[in-house]
Amino acid sequence: MSADTGLRPSEDQIAAMVRQYEVERFYYDEAALLDAHRYDEWLALFSDDAHYFMPIRRTRMQRELNKEFTQPGEMAFFHDDKTLLAGRVAKLKSGRSWAEDPPSRTRHLITNVRVVCDNGRELEVESNFHVYRTRLNSEESSWIGSRRDLLRRIEGSFQIADRKIFLEQTVLLSRNLSNFF
Amino acid sequence: MGRDNVLVVRQKDHTVKAMLNTCAHRGNAVCRAEEGNAKSFLCTYHGWSYGIDGQLLGVPGIKTFYDGQLDKSRHGLTQVAQVASYNGFIFGTHDVTAPPLEQFLGATGRLGLDLIAARGDMVVVPGVQKFVIDCNWKIAVDNLFDWYHPQVTHASAFQSGALGPARVGGRANEEIDMSGVNMDNGAALDMPVTGISGTKFDQVVVLGEYGHAIGGPTASSLGNPEFDKTWRSTPQARAALGSVGLEVGGHPNIFPTAWVTSAIGQLSLRILRSPSRTEIWWFTLIDRNLPREMRDFMITIACRVFGPAGVLEQDDGENWSQATAQTRGVASRRVKHLLTMGLGRGKIIKEGGLARIEGFTSEHAQLWTYHSWAQWMKGLSWDELLKATTPGEYI
Repeated sequence: MSADTGLRPSEDQIAAMVRQYEVERFYYDEAALLDAHRYDEWLALFSDDAHYFMPIRRTRMQRELNKEFTQPGEMAFFHDDKTLLAGRVAKLKSGRSWAEDPPSRTRHLITNVRVVCDNGRELEVESNFHVYRTRLNSEESSWIGSRRDLLRRIEGSFQIADRKIFLEQTVLLSRNLSNFF
Repeated sequence: MGRDNVLVVRQKDHTVKAMLNTCAHRGNAVCRAEEGNAKSFLCTYHGWSYGIDGQLLGVPGIKTFYDGQLDKSRHGLTQVAQVASYNGFIFGTHDVTAPPLEQFLGATGRLGLDLIAARGDMVVVPGVQKFVIDCNWKIAVDNLFDWYHPQVTHASAFQSGALGPARVGGRANEEIDMSGVNMDNGAALDMPVTGISGTKFDQVVVLGEYGHAIGGPTASSLGNPEFDKTWRSTPQARAALGSVGLEVGGHPNIFPTAWVTSAIGQLSLRILRSPSRTEIWWFTLIDRNLPREMRDFMITIACRVFGPAGVLEQDDGENWSQATAQTRGVASRRVKHLLTMGLGRGKIIKEGGLARIEGFTSEHAQLWTYHSWAQWMKGLSWDELLKATTPGEYI
């Protein structure tokens, strides 16, 4: 007979661990789709009402840091609904998307996954990413940043209903953003 | 301005001053934010502090360390020699002898800016897209006049619907002869029919003094890349643009590197960082009186078409970068650009202060840009430069 140490996780903790596991696995699967250029399957992860947004970031003094990122309704790098995202995917698959043929080699590393809000139906999740890209023989881009997602629970998995991508760059130090985050 | 970091500062009397972001003591930056509001500038090296007009106001220990000999009035931030604005577009030059702005712009440069200003009560949408392309700036400028490239460079955008509501339909063009044009797998390259390229496609090229130029289709021959053409029929636009300007549907370039896109109303600055590195800044301007829905639509299109994620500029950047990299070798740098499309066939019509060429797709605007650049590089006087960059009878 073993002594009860009181260290057994509570049911809440177990539920949180399972949720964490589910969210992380969802993100790893998503990253694998992108790195394998399986864009149709990636697109299917988004809800029909999804918004995909990467604001512009500006170097600001500390006292004005609340104005660092542009907001929806202002200019952005990505400001797509699902139809527009689907257009990007169709472009990549057209066989004439010259900036992606030969395709970039990308690796999406997703870390620091934190569920910050969960109302049962939808989760707000923050995560960090490192997207590493090389192209042709000598071109290299490296983007580190964070994402804030709204994940909607669907049958056994999630749908991305909203994604905001925050890059750790102001002047984008690469030629284009022909990949997804 | 090139590699000089310049502070452009609205003054209390609403005028604008521009000055080098370079402390008069050791050259350190006095402002390190990209944009924002400030009441003064502070050099964080030794604490020299300047007013927003660039005047030196405070020097730590000035009496002790400088024996009271330092004249603060002589050590302000270096002002840009001339700063002037035309319709709200602010220009500067480091040359005190340069002609005044309106003269420098001439009718062609002014028309280029009017094609934005005349759209309404224009304001800049917050957020300037900034990114770096590893290309020579001239290939980027060349490209803005190039209406031979869209159907191939942008085939994926046209074919896939990636342009979304910005897709270009409208007037059908005659099929372009594609005999002998094959993909790398040997299949024929099929060419999408678009409203912005083709053989039956009226163009108007405008050539201006000092190298300014406009190239591209006439507004009436454009398919439908411009969502709202109604602004062209307002009294404000008619008065500002005149009969030739009203027909400009293509792209002006204020020499050397300010590209105006007349389709949406954006301005793209190409800032020279090095011979093989160009920083691009996209400004998006919009009529402040547009209904909310139309404003959102225009911003969506602006984000979608140009900029680093823009479905057009992604593929442009690839070409510019490769066209730069592939001409850098000992032998490859001897491969000259072929600029013969329309060469010698451009009859210049001078009317209403503008020099224009009518016809089909040509390289006249590129030729004019390169010609003017070659004159600038000679180090001529302003008078000589004006003469050397005044359009003649033919190009």
